[in-house]
Amino acid sequence: MAENIAQVSDDSFDSDVLKSPVPVLIDFWAPWCGPCRAIAPIVEELAGEYTGKLKIVKMNVDDNPRTPARYGVRGIPNLILFKNGEVQQQIVGAVPKAHLVKAIATVV
Amino acid sequence: MNQPSEKSLKRMRTYVQKYWEKTGTSPHPDKEVTEAVVMGLAANIDEVGRPLCPCNFYPDKKAELERSREWVCACDEMKQWKYCHCLLFVAPDGSPITEHLPEDHEGRQIYGLVKDPTPDKGREARFKVEGESDE
Repeated sequence: MAENIAQVSDDSFDSDVLKSPVPVLIDFWAPWCGPCRAIAPIVEELAGEYTGKLKIVKMNVDDNPRTPARYGVRGIPNLILFKNGEVQQQIVGAVPKAHLVKAIATVV
Repeated sequence: MNQPSEKSLKRMRTYVQKYWEKTGTSPHPDKEVTEAVVMGLAANIDEVGRPLCPCNFYPDKKAELERSREWVCACDEMKQWKYCHCLLFVAPDGSPITEHLPEDHEGRQIYGLVKDPTPDKGREARFKVEGESDE
């Protein structure tokens, strides 16, 4: 799962996400979350389509509890769009690709 | 997360099969989705003693169970509204049933209106939902 997308950690979150010069979509996921698996191919597609415009990363919440707690993550998959270190949108669930594209359009 | 025990896996597979029948819901068409959730539920039985939903983040699983049984499968949302955000108990096309959700619930915002194909089944805790009666 998520072979082509960088995994970020609690320790690297600030530098990888908050200080990113381009907007970031972070996908909070867990290994045994069914809808996380369902949405993974869509996130992979988006990573290819927005290369250079949007950074897409993933965080395993089982291994990295500090960041999801910081951003009030409950239901997963939980996708948060950041721009200049600020939360722009938070999307919960295995949403259709069009839903994500619409959200991404507000930050790129 | 550790691999679940065979005992817990068997318990969850039996439970899920019966709950599909009881509620008139279906498995997700992607078997990997169902298998992942069943594994996660079983792993949580081994870890904390209850089948806590693996599609949520809990800062502290034991504290979550002391707080409430809300996210123990079948969760309160499933029992009240027949909505499974984990995609374990869904409509035949794999969509979570959203018909019974309040309109401002995130499930309705995300998935739109998904009709319940078997409205005479399930929702055993519908009486807990404000404004509805237990008919």
